[in-house]
Amino acid sequence: MAHRKFCCPGALLLAAVLALFCSSASSQTFEAVRKQVQTHVLPNGMKFIVLERHGAPVASFHVYADVGSANESYGITGISHILEHMAFKGSKVVGTKDYAAESKILEQIDSVYASLRNEESKPEPDPAKVAELRKQFAGLEKQAKEYVVNNEYFDLMMREGDNGINAYTSSDATQYINSLPSNRLEFWMAMTSDRFLNPVFREFYKERDVIMEERRMGLETQPTGKLVEDFLAVAFKAHPYHHEVIGHMSDLQSITRRDVETYFAKFYGPSNLTVAIVGDVRADEVFRLAETYFSRIPGSPKPEPVRTQEPEQWGERRVAVSAKAQPYLVMGYHVPDARHKDSRALDGLANILGQGRSSRLFSSLVKDKKIAISASASSGFPGDKYPNLFVFFAVAAAGKTSAECQSAIEDEIERIKKESVSPDELAKFQRRSIKNLLDQMANNASMAALLTYSDVILGGYGKLFDQIDQIKALTADDLKRVANQYLVKNNRTIGEIIPEE
Amino acid sequence: MKTHKGTKAALVGILILALTAGTAYAQKSPKDKFTFGLLNPIVMPEVEEAELPNGLKLFLVEDHEFPTINLWILVRAGTAFEPSSKVGLASITGSVLRTGGTKSKSGDQIDKELDTLAASIASGISTNLAYLSVSALQESFDQALGILSDIVREPVFAEDRIELARIQHRTSISRRNEDISGIASREFAKLIYGKDSPYGRHTEYRSIDAVTRQDILDFYSRYFHPNNAWVAVCGDFKSKEMVEKIAAALGKWERGTPSADPWPKVDYQEKYTVNFIDKPDVNQSSIMLGHIGGMMSNPDYPALTIMNQILSFERMFKRIRTDEGLAYSVWGSYGAGYVYPGVFSCGAQTKSQSTVYAIEIMLKELKRIMEQEVGDDELARAKDGYLNSYVFNFETKSQIVDRMVSYAYYGYPIDFMEQIKSKVEKVTRADVLRVARMYLKPDKVQILVVGKKEDFDKPLSTLGDVNIMDITIPPRQ
Repeated sequence: MAHRKFCCPGALLLAAVLALFCSSASSQTFEAVRKQVQTHVLPNGMKFIVLERHGAPVASFHVYADVGSANESYGITGISHILEHMAFKGSKVVGTKDYAAESKILEQIDSVYASLRNEESKPEPDPAKVAELRKQFAGLEKQAKEYVVNNEYFDLMMREGDNGINAYTSSDATQYINSLPSNRLEFWMAMTSDRFLNPVFREFYKERDVIMEERRMGLETQPTGKLVEDFLAVAFKAHPYHHEVIGHMSDLQSITRRDVETYFAKFYGPSNLTVAIVGDVRADEVFRLAETYFSRIPGSPKPEPVRTQEPEQWGERRVAVSAKAQPYLVMGYHVPDARHKDSRALDGLANILGQGRSSRLFSSLVKDKKIAISASASSGFPGDKYPNLFVFFAVAAAGKTSAECQSAIEDEIERIKKESVSPDELAKFQRRSIKNLLDQMANNASMAALLTYSDVILGGYGKLFDQIDQIKALTADDLKRVANQYLVKNNRTIGEIIPEE
Repeated sequence: MKTHKGTKAALVGILILALTAGTAYAQKSPKDKFTFGLLNPIVMPEVEEAELPNGLKLFLVEDHEFPTINLWILVRAGTAFEPSSKVGLASITGSVLRTGGTKSKSGDQIDKELDTLAASIASGISTNLAYLSVSALQESFDQALGILSDIVREPVFAEDRIELARIQHRTSISRRNEDISGIASREFAKLIYGKDSPYGRHTEYRSIDAVTRQDILDFYSRYFHPNNAWVAVCGDFKSKEMVEKIAAALGKWERGTPSADPWPKVDYQEKYTVNFIDKPDVNQSSIMLGHIGGMMSNPDYPALTIMNQILSFERMFKRIRTDEGLAYSVWGSYGAGYVYPGVFSCGAQTKSQSTVYAIEIMLKELKRIMEQEVGDDELARAKDGYLNSYVFNFETKSQIVDRMVSYAYYGYPIDFMEQIKSKVEKVTRADVLRVARMYLKPDKVQILVVGKKEDFDKPLSTLGDVNIMDITIPPRQ
C-alpha cells in the first residue's frame, strides 16, 4: 500500500472501509495458527493443548485450574489464592528431607492448632491454656522446619532456567506458569505432575502470614483497593463475585491445612485442569509424556458450577469509602457471562466508549472538559465465567469531583443509547481486536494463557478465532441495543472514594 | 548497509549435556537426574544496520511470523537535562510531542487516525532516554510511519495539550502520598542522590506551573535531531524496502547540532541515617535501606549480578518471607545503571508490629553475606539459573534488536550481554565474597520507614537518631 496522508474525514472513512477488507493477512495468520493447535485429553479428563512454535528453543507452560474465589463459601474466602501459594511448597518428594517423619509432625501441628482455635473461640478463653498451646505450636513448627528444604520447588525450576515462574488467582481461575528451555519438557512434566499428585501443604501457617501481608499491601493500605472490595460486596449481593480474591482477614486467620486439603481434592483434580504448552516442542512428544506423567493422577468428577445466581437488581446501589485520598469513581452495570451472545457487542461498546485516546470518554472527560486524568470502560469485571459487571473507572483531575465525572459519563451513555456509533468507530474496534490478538499471539506465555482461557471460559480454543469473525459481523444496531438493555440506572452500582479532611 | 550474523558458538554454554541416560517411558521423580537433549540452536536473525545521510542510525530485523511491524526511535535526552526550577519540563515535552499535534494535523486528528488504523504511537522522556514507538499492522504501517515522521520532525506542542499535561502532573502531585511504597521509593531516591539532584528531585506545583511552551520548544530543539537518534525496527517487511521507506519518511528530518551535555555526575557521601515518614492511616510499614550502587560498565558487574541473586532470593526472600512470614514483597538488590550509578537497596513491606524486627534481619543478612563465602549450592543455583535462562534473551527477534539499539544508544559494546555471560560462568564463591565486601556497606546504610509509629514493635530510635521527613505537598501559589 502506498504511503498515504489523510487530512479530511472522508479519507478517515476510507481508512475504516479498508480496515474491513484489508485484514486478509491477519485472517490467514489466524487460520494457520488455528490449524496448528493440537489437543489431547487424558483418560482422567485432563486436557493438553499444544501450539508448536519453533522460532526459539524455549517453551511456555500454562496450567489453568477452573477454580477461583467464586467457588469459595463463607469461612474459606481466599482459599483458592492460598492454594496458589501452597503449590510452591513442594510435595512428598520436593521440599522435604524426610517426608515420613515430617508428615507426623505436620499432623501434630494441625491437632494443636485445632485445640488452640477451640480454646481461643470460647467465650472466656483460659489464658494459661492458650499460652501453653501457643508454645507447643511454635515448638512443633520449629521441629517441622528441620525437615524442610526451603523453597526447593523454586530452586529446582529456576536452576533449570525457568524464566517466568509464577501463578495467579482470579475470581474464575487459579493459574500456574512456567517458561523453560524447551529441552526441559520432561522435567516440567515430572515437576508439575508431582505438584498435583503429591502436594504437601507444609509451612502452611507461615504462608498464611505472608498472605495476610499481601492483603495489607494490596488492599488495606490502598484506598482504591478498599474501594474495589466494598464495591464488589455491594454490586453482588448473592453471587460470590461478592468477595475479593484475597479473602477476608478473619478467614485468612482461621483457614486450616485440612480446609485446604479438602478444597484441593474437590477442585484441583485432572478433570478441572487444562494445560497449554506453546513453543519449541513436538505435540506428539508432549502428549506421550502427558500420558506417562499425568495419567497417574486419579480421575475425579468435574465439580459442580457455582449454584448461586445474582438476582435482578431492584434499584441503584451506592457505596463510599472514606480515606485520606483524592476522589475516585467506579460505576458497574450487570452484564452476562463471556459465552452470552451479547458479549462481543458489550466488548465493542467498552472499546468505543472507553479504550484509547480517541474513545468517547477520554475525548470528553480528559481532553475537552478536563475534569479527569483518566476515564475508561471495560466488561468482564471481576471475572467473566459468570454474569459480571461492565465497569467505568474515572480519576478526577486535581480540584474536580467524582460527581462531575459521573455526570459526564452519563451524558456519553445517554448519547450512545440514542445515536448509533459511526462506521469509523465500529471499524476501529474490529481492527484493534485483530491487532490485540496478534500482539498476544507473538509471545509464547501470553498465547498459552489465551488458549487455556478460550478453551475453558469460551468453550473451546477455536473460539479465540471465532471471536474475530463475530466482531466483524457486529453492527451499530447491536451496540445500540446492548447499551439500552444493560446500561440502565436500576442495574448499576456506584462506588467512590470520599476524601477525608 | 552492513550485516551482522549472530554467533551461534557463543550460546554453547546453555546446552547442558546428558549426565545419565533414562528410560524413555518410565516416570521420573523431579529429583532424578534428567537427560536433556541438545537444545535446538538459536537462529540469530540477520540484523541490518544502516545510516541515513542525516545521521539517523537504523537497526532492522525481519520477522515474518505475524503481519505486524514495531519501530522505535531513541533520542539522547532525559529529565536529567532539565533545569531544577522546571522539573517536569522533559516529561511534558515527551508526552505532548505525541499529543500536541503537528503542522499538518491536530492532536485529536492523530488520535483518531491511529485508533482507526489500530496503530499506536507512544512517546516519552525518562531520566536518561527519550523515545518514540510505533506498533502497527503491516498493512497500515506506512500511514503510521508517516504520522510518526510528522510528530518527530514538526511537532507544534499545542498550548491546550500542554495544559492537559500540566493537569495530569498536578493531579499526580495531589495524589502522590496515597501509597506507602510509592512514597518510600520517591523519598529514598532523595536520600541517595540528594533532593536537588537530577536523579532525586521530583515535580512540584511551582515547577509544573513554570513550564512554558517556549521552554518545551527549546528543549525539543536542543535534542531532537536525527544525528542524535537511533532507530530499531522489527516485523513483517523486507529490510531493503524498509530502509527506503524510513529514508523517505525520516530522511527529510534535518540534521542539527544537538546538545552534547554529559550526563550529570553523582556525588555521594557515605553515611548512616535513620529516616521516618509518618503515615498514621496504614497498618504496614514500607521499609527501604541502602546506599549508592554502581555502573554496568564496572568489571565487577558480573560477580555483582550473581551476588544480587543470592542476596535477594537465597537470603532475603527465603529468610524474611518464607521462614518468618513477615512480608509478601521483599528484596535486596545492587542496582547498576548504564550512565549513572544505580541504588543498592533492600526493602520490604511488613505489618507495623514487625517493622524494626524486619530491619534488623535485613541488616544481619547484609553482614552475613560479607562475613563468609556463600554456599556451593547457592552459587551453583544462581549461576545455573542465569546461564540456563540466558536463552530467553533470544526468545523474540524484537528483543534482540531492542538490545542492540540500547547498547548503541548508551555506548556499550554490541556484545555486552555475551561478555557478561562469559564472566558469569567464571564467578567463584571468593568473587562473591570479594564484591560483597567491596560494595556493600551495612554500617553506612540509609534507612527509611514509612508507616504508623504508634504500632511499631520497637521505637525506630533503637536504630539511631531519627530524622523526620516532611512530605507535606507544598500548596499551589
